[in-house]
Amino acid sequence: MARNPLKHHVAIVGVGSAGYGRDLERTALSLGLEAAVKAIDDAGIDRQEIDGICGTGMTPLAMGGAGFLSLQGALGIERCTWAKNGWLGSALVFAVEAVFAGLCDTALVVQSYLREPGMSRAAARDPFRRRAQAYADVGGDVGLGDMAKRWIHSGEPYAAIMRRYMHDFGVDNEAFGLMAVNNRSHALTNPDAVLRSPLTLDDYRASRLIWEPMVMADMDLPVDCAEAFVVTTAERARDLRGDPVYVHAMSLGGTRIGEYYENWAGWHDNAFTACLDGLRARSEIWTDDLDLFYPYDGYTIDAIAITEAAGFCELGGSRDLFRSSWDQRDQILRLNGRTLVTPNGGGLAMGRAGGSNLYADAVRQLRGDAGANQMAGADTAMVGIGSFFHDPAAMVLVSSRQV
Amino acid sequence: MRDGYSDAEGRGMTTPVPSNDDVFAHFHDVHVDRDNLEHYRALMTGRLVINRCDDCGHWIYPHRPLCPACLSWSVSPREVGGEGRVYMYTLLHQSRDPNKPLTEPMGLAAIELAEQAGLRYLSRVVGCAGEALFHGMPVRLTWTTEADGRRWPAFAPVGEG
Ligand SMILES: [Zn+2]
Repeated sequence: MARNPLKHHVAIVGVGSAGYGRDLERTALSLGLEAAVKAIDDAGIDRQEIDGICGTGMTPLAMGGAGFLSLQGALGIERCTWAKNGWLGSALVFAVEAVFAGLCDTALVVQSYLREPGMSRAAARDPFRRRAQAYADVGGDVGLGDMAKRWIHSGEPYAAIMRRYMHDFGVDNEAFGLMAVNNRSHALTNPDAVLRSPLTLDDYRASRLIWEPMVMADMDLPVDCAEAFVVTTAERARDLRGDPVYVHAMSLGGTRIGEYYENWAGWHDNAFTACLDGLRARSEIWTDDLDLFYPYDGYTIDAIAITEAAGFCELGGSRDLFRSSWDQRDQILRLNGRTLVTPNGGGLAMGRAGGSNLYADAVRQLRGDAGANQMAGADTAMVGIGSFFHDPAAMVLVSSRQV
Repeated sequence: MRDGYSDAEGRGMTTPVPSNDDVFAHFHDVHVDRDNLEHYRALMTGRLVINRCDDCGHWIYPHRPLCPACLSWSVSPREVGGEGRVYMYTLLHQSRDPNKPLTEPMGLAAIELAEQAGLRYLSRVVGCAGEALFHGMPVRLTWTTEADGRRWPAFAPVGEG
């Protein structure tokens, strides 16, 4: 017998269709929105009840179509704790999984298809279809022609957000520098780390400007790498040879801002806060109980924002928190006097792995086999990964001693 | 048939409305679609237009056919006044194209348009040294001509545009 624990636990309560035609003269997004509005209406719910979205496509960064970012923005849905793209039969399955797992209560699934230019001669003559074919996917129109589209899935707005941070909270770049120094200090004793020369705050401040005020040392280090994970049930895990690490709680997150990052809505209302609030609503373990904290460091502004969204300090308080948490001897952070931050060096110093090396180190630490950087008796870890805009994820992991 | 638009200098003359083919040819490297077509058509005649909800008046950007405030489908492209303030910005020191390095840092800003809180248009800031930029700086729409001859919206400090 296969497991089927979700039996009778999930229902479909609304449907909507935008109609069918060989040439409806509309975008995939427009058709998807019509179906969505009708399904929401059919369900008889307020759209703000929706807290999970599965859009159309294979990747979160697919552009110019009916992906979850465009849908959430276009529908004005304020907050989600689950979002993903999918297609074929998988899309509905993803949503049922998410509702069953508790990552959201009400999921919207939108699947939108266009007659592609390769499907008929008439379609191939249609300049709208040709343009959509050329640009509607990963790496589509990123503003190489039109500057106004340059901040769609771009790093440059993170520099602008970093400047806003310094302006809004009246601080310089010290917190960003201390995060970079912390990660580099840990990397010194991680034999797998790529950057293993010491970094001081002065070194950080002398780092090359890329997108002012963001410097090279604010950015994770591009490398070739891979991480992998095996996940199974708790029951099966107990029969296996190794020491399991348990998922205590998790959340995703999203806001109505969509894919044009200049629409960033501030410190209270971004995907990090939606995600960490979602995790907090599900986790019995929080910052005071943590041995390890892994804030994603694609840019240092991400790590600062995740630290604050987790509530280690108030918004804008990272500089003071880091000053009072600084271990001068080891040149590292000890939040609340003890919580280590990214003890493998993370993306900034170990190398750019999309946050997967944060999950990997958390697992190794909680099993007690993290090598030279092992924290004695580590039992609890929080990992926060992602972007101000799209698919952030946060997870609390615990050692087997806690279960 | 669509009326001609007044030209950018407002001399009361009209320029012919570009056809769809004209828009596709002019913006050969842009994902022009049915939701943003009128925006690009207007750029060709020196006007910056953004969708606005006919029912609740909400300005809608990026270009979408549905009002996110009230879910109305009655949405029309409207010209904006061109006044705004710098909401956030960065100075680009590194070009995306390694074969075309920047000779000086380029100011790139999210301009919050006067029409509505949170309504922002990403644009170059011209006529202003990078170190003179600041959050909240009042700016006004102007136009720049790129090396390929195309004219694009840009914003300049008020009084210097
Ligand atoms: Zn409206």
